[in-house]
Amino acid sequence: MKNYSVVGKRLPRYDGTQKAVGAPCFTSDVSLPGMLYAKVLRSPYPHARIVNIDTTKAEQLPGVAAVICHKNTTSKLFNTSATIVFTLPPLVPVKDQRIFDDVVRYVGDEVAAVAAETEEIAQEALKLIEVEYEQLPSVFDPKEANKEEAPDLQGPREHGKNLPGEKIHLELGDIQKGFEDADYIFEHEFKLPVQKQCQMETMAAVATIDADGKITVYSSTQTVHPSRAILADLFDVPYSKVRVLSPPFIGGGFGVRIGLSAKAEPIAIALAQKAKRPVKVVYDREEDFTSSDTRHSGYVYLKTGVKKDGTFTARMMKAVLNAGAYCSFSTETHGVLGCMGLSLYSCPNQYYDGIAVYTNTTPSGAMRGFGSPQASTAIEAQLDIIAEELGIDRREISKKNMMKVGGEWVLPYQCQSIALEECIDQGAAAIGWDKKGTFDNSGSVKRGIGMACGTHVSNAWPFCGDYSNAYVNIQQDGSVQIAVGSPEMGTGVQTTLSQMVSETLGVTMDKIEVTIADTESSPFEIGAHASRTCYVVGMAVTQAAAQVKKEALEFAAKLLAERESCIYCAQDVQDLDIVDNMIVSKSNPNKKISLREVTIQAQFKGEQFIGVAKVVPQNAPPWLAHFADVSVDTETGKVTVNKLVAAHDVGRAINPTIVEGQIEGGLAQGYGYALTEEILYDENGRQLNTGFHKYMLPTAVDLPELQAIIVESDEPTHPFNVKGVGETGLIATAAAIMNAVYDAIGVRFFEIPMTEEKIYMALQESLKSCE
Amino acid sequence: MINDYVLPKTVEDALAALKQGNAKLIAGGTDLMLDLKSCKAAADTLVDINGIKELKGIKESDGNIIIGAGTTHQEVAESFLIQEKAVVLAKASGSVGSLQIRNTATVVGNIVNAQPAADAAVALVALGAEAEIVDKEGTIYQPVENLYAGLAKCKVDSSCQIITAVRFPALFSNQGSAYVRLAKRGALALPMLCVAVAASLKDGKIEWVRIVMAPVSTKPLRALEAEELLKDKEPSEEVILEASKKAAAMADPRDSKLRGSRAYRSSVLVNLVKRGITEAIKNARQ
Amino acid sequence: MNKKTLTMVVNGKTVEKMVEPGDTLLDVLREELGLKGVKKGCGKGECGACTIIMNGKAVNSCIVPAMQAVGAEIQTIEGLSNGNGLHPLQQTFIDCGAIQCGFCTPGMIMSSKALLDKNLKPTKEEIKQALAGNVCRCTGFVKIEEAVEKAAEILKNGK
Ligand SMILES: Cc1cc2nc3c(=O)[nH]c(=O)nc-3n(C[C@@H](O)[C@@H](O)[C@H](O)COP(=O)(O)OP(=O)(O)OC[C@H]3O[C@@H](n4cnc5c(N)ncnc54)[C@H](O)[C@@H]3O)c2cc1C
Ligand code: FES
Ligand code: FES
Repeated sequence: MKNYSVVGKRLPRYDGTQKAVGAPCFTSDVSLPGMLYAKVLRSPYPHARIVNIDTTKAEQLPGVAAVICHKNTTSKLFNTSATIVFTLPPLVPVKDQRIFDDVVRYVGDEVAAVAAETEEIAQEALKLIEVEYEQLPSVFDPKEANKEEAPDLQGPREHGKNLPGEKIHLELGDIQKGFEDADYIFEHEFKLPVQKQCQMETMAAVATIDADGKITVYSSTQTVHPSRAILADLFDVPYSKVRVLSPPFIGGGFGVRIGLSAKAEPIAIALAQKAKRPVKVVYDREEDFTSSDTRHSGYVYLKTGVKKDGTFTARMMKAVLNAGAYCSFSTETHGVLGCMGLSLYSCPNQYYDGIAVYTNTTPSGAMRGFGSPQASTAIEAQLDIIAEELGIDRREISKKNMMKVGGEWVLPYQCQSIALEECIDQGAAAIGWDKKGTFDNSGSVKRGIGMACGTHVSNAWPFCGDYSNAYVNIQQDGSVQIAVGSPEMGTGVQTTLSQMVSETLGVTMDKIEVTIADTESSPFEIGAHASRTCYVVGMAVTQAAAQVKKEALEFAAKLLAERESCIYCAQDVQDLDIVDNMIVSKSNPNKKISLREVTIQAQFKGEQFIGVAKVVPQNAPPWLAHFADVSVDTETGKVTVNKLVAAHDVGRAINPTIVEGQIEGGLAQGYGYALTEEILYDENGRQLNTGFHKYMLPTAVDLPELQAIIVESDEPTHPFNVKGVGETGLIATAAAIMNAVYDAIGVRFFEIPMTEEKIYMALQESLKSCE
Repeated sequence: MINDYVLPKTVEDALAALKQGNAKLIAGGTDLMLDLKSCKAAADTLVDINGIKELKGIKESDGNIIIGAGTTHQEVAESFLIQEKAVVLAKASGSVGSLQIRNTATVVGNIVNAQPAADAAVALVALGAEAEIVDKEGTIYQPVENLYAGLAKCKVDSSCQIITAVRFPALFSNQGSAYVRLAKRGALALPMLCVAVAASLKDGKIEWVRIVMAPVSTKPLRALEAEELLKDKEPSEEVILEASKKAAAMADPRDSKLRGSRAYRSSVLVNLVKRGITEAIKNARQ
Repeated sequence: MNKKTLTMVVNGKTVEKMVEPGDTLLDVLREELGLKGVKKGCGKGECGACTIIMNGKAVNSCIVPAMQAVGAEIQTIEGLSNGNGLHPLQQTFIDCGAIQCGFCTPGMIMSSKALLDKNLKPTKEEIKQALAGNVCRCTGFVKIEEAVEKAAEILKNGK
């Protein structure tokens, strides 16, 4: 692979200083003159009709400026997720939410909202709103909700009982024949939990409306332009009259705000319209748990046919996911689960059926991995069983079946690079795979090692529409401004994009400024999701930078030709390059002129160097192998993870420190997915884990040594060979830990999280059956 | 709604301040501030004991260790005296919440909170601690074990009574203690189960032992039968296991989706008690 | 309602504010004094985003009653780089890649500072213990621990 001078370097983050000094850079820090504070009344019932709602007393409370509910807000349907912008015909986006409805469909659903002078008054006012509910039958499990006798949660549906969108069906080859060809057939079902993003900044929006009716919203969204579209449609104003922007940073996302920040934005706008003053909505942590999207829970069924030597002959997969009360991303997640799950390995005969089903629980939406963790957990745990039964080394069975460049799969694009084998080898070396099976497990604490593989995407196509635009401008002094609509939610996009522009353009990093996430100062951008920013927006800024560079060099060539007659003439532009802000001749490095001087001269001639790029990407799969070393205390069931290793084929790491950070953070979330994180509901549909003391995110003392290994490959679809890394870190972590736990104690689990209780009880059970 | 916040300098002033309206004591506030917000507690005046010098600190006097009401979990966890002569409490206080919580939350507040598995309180019961309670009638001493008036209810009424200190006999060199805790994660997690043990050895035999388990009842539960069984026995693996089974058999944990099922907790408790006794005895021998 | 006078030293400067007796220290620092670096992640002592140093100790300002700060010495993230460039912890957090979304960062740095103020040779385990009350959802803590180690090194050599 080519060597670069800026790309590939561990440069410090662009946004580091502001964050290190605690600058007020988040939506929750925004404060506008005359601003009111809002609070939201939420449903205590999982499914009920609002027979009557009386807000008179709340309106009369001193300090209350506006009260809204379904009676005085638009009844227009929308979808808080960005699908209305992403969905490609012939599919139509599902719109099934209203700001407030006269039916509530989960505990935490919005009933009314108050804007007041202080948060305390708004809170007080909520208590004065009188609501009469008529409870309706409810259902919480997606399999139950899909049965004919279940209540219809969103009326009769076109595609099946309680299905928000289409079933996803995929087929390759002849599945029947594949099973006939098999020497062995393995069949298992896995149950997957509700995981929560738990981004540290809760949902937030501040809306202000000027005298002309133009709406400005500071927002914690990951997608400013799609959010603008949702809001403009909802409030019936032209897109150009709505401005959505980051202030400028977001306190984490992990998928939860691809689209609106739950309903923070529409509630803020509706209240601001009524009160005619700016309104701030910040969810408290409990609301963030109960009333913003979660990861899809559900069931993944696998039936796999293999030859004696471990070669796959048939792979059948079925998924039933819990969509929750509203659609959000429940038309896409089971698609990614099926496609990416099947595409990890080559197999001539494949079959997939997937659905997501409405229930009366918190809506499920996007969370880091978007179907791939669910798929990988099931597939890689089953593959461990297959390898053991066939007596094949776990690494070898993955290598034997792994996807090949140009291999046949269900996706409409080609796999053009894969370094999974290197990932497996380097990861195995780092974890000490050779020690597997050699631990002294005679005591009550038993140790084991496990591994798992995975793949994912570098953008959302073909599941959704995907494209980006970028603008790169050389200023009159030779410095550079980039404008993109991407947000900075922690992934380091400003740094990474600047590195690509710096490399392309030859302008040093200190002269580059990046404007982000403002619908009014950046071209349309789909936003941060699907691990796509570095890949797609990276392509766009690189292309725009190449364009301005060409313009600048052409101008410089002319200028130099005028000045130093005949040393250069216009066609010699090929001989020019920009290095460290200087335009130099490749053939005679002594000939140079500063970019600054050229831009100043250009200005006199009324010329500006502006690059605009519009990119519609292909896609590229990243590949990964995860390894876990665990100890299980058989007297309590407690798992201690000793080390996690993740080796990722990332194409090329533009900034290795940032890439490692993405992988390490993903590993930590995968640790939680495997062992401790889960939202449970009681029999009345109430979440039991509504705060950080009950929902068990791993803390510093829980997490083991995490080792991220970057493996590079020559991905040809991207100018710098980039592949997506934003989500990959958690995809195979749970399965690696599951397999390590099996290696330690000899008991398989078909459900995560593997809590101490589940492990202990399973051990007791296995002792009994041995007796 | 809080209308007044008083910072008395002496216990007397604090008692006087408590007489105003609906007043309540506040120490670290780690329970009370949240209870006030969620309306689990109500008060219009808070009387803060942190300015009272005489309530600060840990001291040893006549073989007793005395911990003032103004003492935080972290001070206890870091105290050499406690680590040496009541390690069960150092460990218990050291496992509360997080450092930030331990830096403000007090040991005495943990008693009044009266949760059955309040870590420090469980350890204090194993140490045979008593609370010094002051009110307008005077001063009385009550075993911590007897302060429970039902689930999460303390007999001490913090709107008119002040626990000024807790005290317990320092453990001698032939005595030892241990704290075993099972939680969903290593910090910021209430225990699924905890066991506190203090034991005294004499001539190689167990002179006495106190075994306390939680949350398996409405209050920290003494395993009296198991204590009796171990008395005057040489601490062999077999007898410890037998005692552990006896102890766990007394426990009555609830089914909790968050903190574990009854079946799990009842079963795993045997192992925790076993570890607790074994470690306390090891500690006594050192 | 009777407002009470709260006098305290915040980042080296004496401030006096009239506060509601039921306010938390977080309310006063963030809303009254405009110190927005003090973040609110949960409001219940469960995440550490609001961590400040009070009289030398890291505490969760969201559950500390404001009046408990009477006469106290308070340090917030805003006081760290007062005038003379970044504090070594701020610099190593940036250099090591310990900052992603940055929402946990001020609290994380304050907890780290409270540790290093007392102990310039912390072990990995001591660092983990000191940071266990600070939730970070982005980083997995690897680079944060590295940043604290590096800052300790710099501070030790500087002394
Ligand atoms: C995030 C978090 C995590 C936690 N984790 C744990 C844990 O792991 N284990 C655990 O055991 N606890 C835990 N706790 C609770 C623990 O912090 C408290 O029980 C603490 O010890 C109470 O002390 P305090 O000084 O904060 O009490 P306060 O909140 O000030 O007071 C508690 C009660 O005691 C009364 N009171 C206080 N002092 C006196 C006195 N001297 N005399 C009479 N009455 C008095 C008050 O009026 C009030 O009713 C946690 C709390 C939080 C917020
Ligand atoms: S905001 Fe204070 S600990 Fe979370
Ligand atoms: S950097 Fe985002 S929570 Fe820590």
